[in-house]
Amino acid sequence: MSAGQTEPKPANHQHLRRNPPILGEAEAIAAAQAGDERAFETLYALHKRRVYSLCLRMLGNVAAAEDLTQDAFLQLYRKIGTFRGDSAFSTWLHRLAVNVVLMHLRKKGLPQISLEEALEPSQDDGPRKDFGGRDLQLSGSIDRVTLERAIEDLPPGYRLVFVLHDVEGYEHNEIAEMLSCSIGNSKSQLHKARMKLRDLLRTGQRKENAV
Amino acid sequence: MTTRPNGRTTVGKAIMTCADFQERLPELFETKADLSADEHLKTCENCAALVRDLEYIAQQAKLLLPIHDPSPAVWENIKSAIRNDPDTKGGSSNPSVPRPAGR
Repeated sequence: MSAGQTEPKPANHQHLRRNPPILGEAEAIAAAQAGDERAFETLYALHKRRVYSLCLRMLGNVAAAEDLTQDAFLQLYRKIGTFRGDSAFSTWLHRLAVNVVLMHLRKKGLPQISLEEALEPSQDDGPRKDFGGRDLQLSGSIDRVTLERAIEDLPPGYRLVFVLHDVEGYEHNEIAEMLSCSIGNSKSQLHKARMKLRDLLRTGQRKENAV
Repeated sequence: MTTRPNGRTTVGKAIMTCADFQERLPELFETKADLSADEHLKTCENCAALVRDLEYIAQQAKLLLPIHDPSPAVWENIKSAIRNDPDTKGGSSNPSVPRPAGR
């Protein structure tokens, strides 16, 4: 599904919290739909940070994130006429950007194997069951930068589901639809991603404590 | 329910081990139930710490707001693509897409 064809619904309350009305946005959308380039620049200025941050978190690579931010806004330019206002513009644009990133990932190699397989990193990358190690507790000790870095270090399949669910607030049924996988697979990947993140964060803490 | 040493709890005759509990954990998180009342967690500090950490990670992730900005080259390329391709006026085709220098 492309964002231009179907109006995506807001994912949940987190999306509503993150999509407050923006002063002047409605006028800019109407003007951009009429072909006003300055209005389109206004929309870019309003939304570039959110779209780029999404691309960067999903891809973990600055150059690719910039390329896909560019692609997302060019798609927006082509499709803005189809925006009907059934959902928040930022939600609609966000979904469009997610689709651009997913298309890119499929083109890069995901078509050769099913996405279900691609979402299943090798055993070496996976989280372990936790039967020991009471020495460290994460609560209250992780800053934003540390968490961002750990997310970057996640295997791509885990990172996708974690970013879409825990950071961006999509529900499992939406993620399953976007990634063409089962809802159960999305849930399972999310749990594994959180376990892997815990491993990464605890390893980082141990290294810090050892210095 | 009976509590045994080493974090094992029994429900009827079945013993709940850490492995059993962690097997059920994804499902428990999805139900959004209050896990603090779970019998196994009351006696197993290891699994309790795991649950605290995973909840903490999910909470912190929700607080990650967009903070990164793309380089100015991104807008320059978008502008250039829009202006150089007359087919994009009115918006329905594929503008040629320049990439930032050095890629």
